[in-house]
Amino acid sequence: MKAYKNKRRMISLALVALIMTALFAPTIANAGGISIDAGLTPAVNRIMVRSQMRILERYSESMMGGGTMKMEMRILPVMVAYGVRSDLTVMARMAHVWSDMTMSGSSMPMMNGKTSSSGFGDLLLLAKYRMVRINKPGYTLGIAPTLALELPTGSDGIGSDSYDLRGGVFFSGRHKSWAMDLDLSYINNGTALANDNEINPGDEYGIDIALARQFGLGSNAMLAIAPVLEASYKKTTPDIINDVDVMDTGESVTTLAPGLKLTYGSLIFEGLVRFPVSQEQEGMQTEHKTMFLFGFRLMN
Amino acid sequence: MMKNKRLFSTTILIGLLIGMIAGCGSGRQSFDELVTPDSEIRVYEIFGMDCPGCHGGVENLIGKVEGVLASKANWEKGTLQVLIADGSNVTDEIIFEAIKKANFTPGKRLK
Repeated sequence: MKAYKNKRRMISLALVALIMTALFAPTIANAGGISIDAGLTPAVNRIMVRSQMRILERYSESMMGGGTMKMEMRILPVMVAYGVRSDLTVMARMAHVWSDMTMSGSSMPMMNGKTSSSGFGDLLLLAKYRMVRINKPGYTLGIAPTLALELPTGSDGIGSDSYDLRGGVFFSGRHKSWAMDLDLSYINNGTALANDNEINPGDEYGIDIALARQFGLGSNAMLAIAPVLEASYKKTTPDIINDVDVMDTGESVTTLAPGLKLTYGSLIFEGLVRFPVSQEQEGMQTEHKTMFLFGFRLMN
Repeated sequence: MMKNKRLFSTTILIGLLIGMIAGCGSGRQSFDELVTPDSEIRVYEIFGMDCPGCHGGVENLIGKVEGVLASKANWEKGTLQVLIADGSNVTDEIIFEAIKKANFTPGKRLK
């Protein structure tokens, strides 16, 4: 009897671990925030450091056994960018993640309870190339393709088990005090698997648009405030094992995020609230709830 | 394995923080502190700046030009003031090149 209980407990824990692993990687990757003003490459030799605190929640009322599941996460990414040349920027990003997952009301009592975990996410290395940059009186245009590789360096259960290749292109436009940025991205998750895991994680497609207006404050041009509105669409295809889609994986979500950016010299504070306006998950998965993001950017 | 990953991640994070501190640790005198009544101050038009965060990039590069004591950008006016050292031979072309390296476009010399 005891052996049977232990086995059930092991299966339950394995299920919980599987769900968490499936949810964490795309959540970390997707939570961009006010990051899509990066279409204009920085000056040569310039270093930028950026960090944010992202507080997000996912929730489902129809999990296994009829229970509910709530996942609360705090993600702290740190990103460093360096202008190698005036037309080439390299970046490294890594995040620390804290998460709590609570399951309750399930008819399978072993599934109920709270699980907490924390650790580092994967290391992302990214290069951005300035393909077009036009500066004219009154307007600026920029186009910058990017190529990135995410390495499976994260903690067990937090990071992914694969090398993931990313490609994208930023379009940026400035007209007087208005700013518009568009980011089209594709993530080939599971470009190369790091272990014997045969599950190939689903790929991600993203479109991010941001609109902002900069207001100068004070007389010395050192202070500015900018209301920002971001809209994002992300689609994650289902995971695949032996050429078959894995159940309860794959989703698409559209979000809107109003926010505020305060710039004082080389220091920028930013904050936004991102809420989903439409979302669709395959099978039994948690839904996105509101995300809060605040952080800073420092440039030398 | 887990310990190695943690060590690797911690090392990277510390590296990032050191980079941040190094990036902020410049003790240069400001433009206003260096200006004297006899200083030669040139003013250039500059296109492409869209917020105060742009100032640092161009000011750093102009500051590395030999014969330049300091510079001060203004994103709202679209101008760059450059403080030239006495007896130096800084040409406008050298300043224009530095502006381009900052990913901005130089306009006319206004003063």
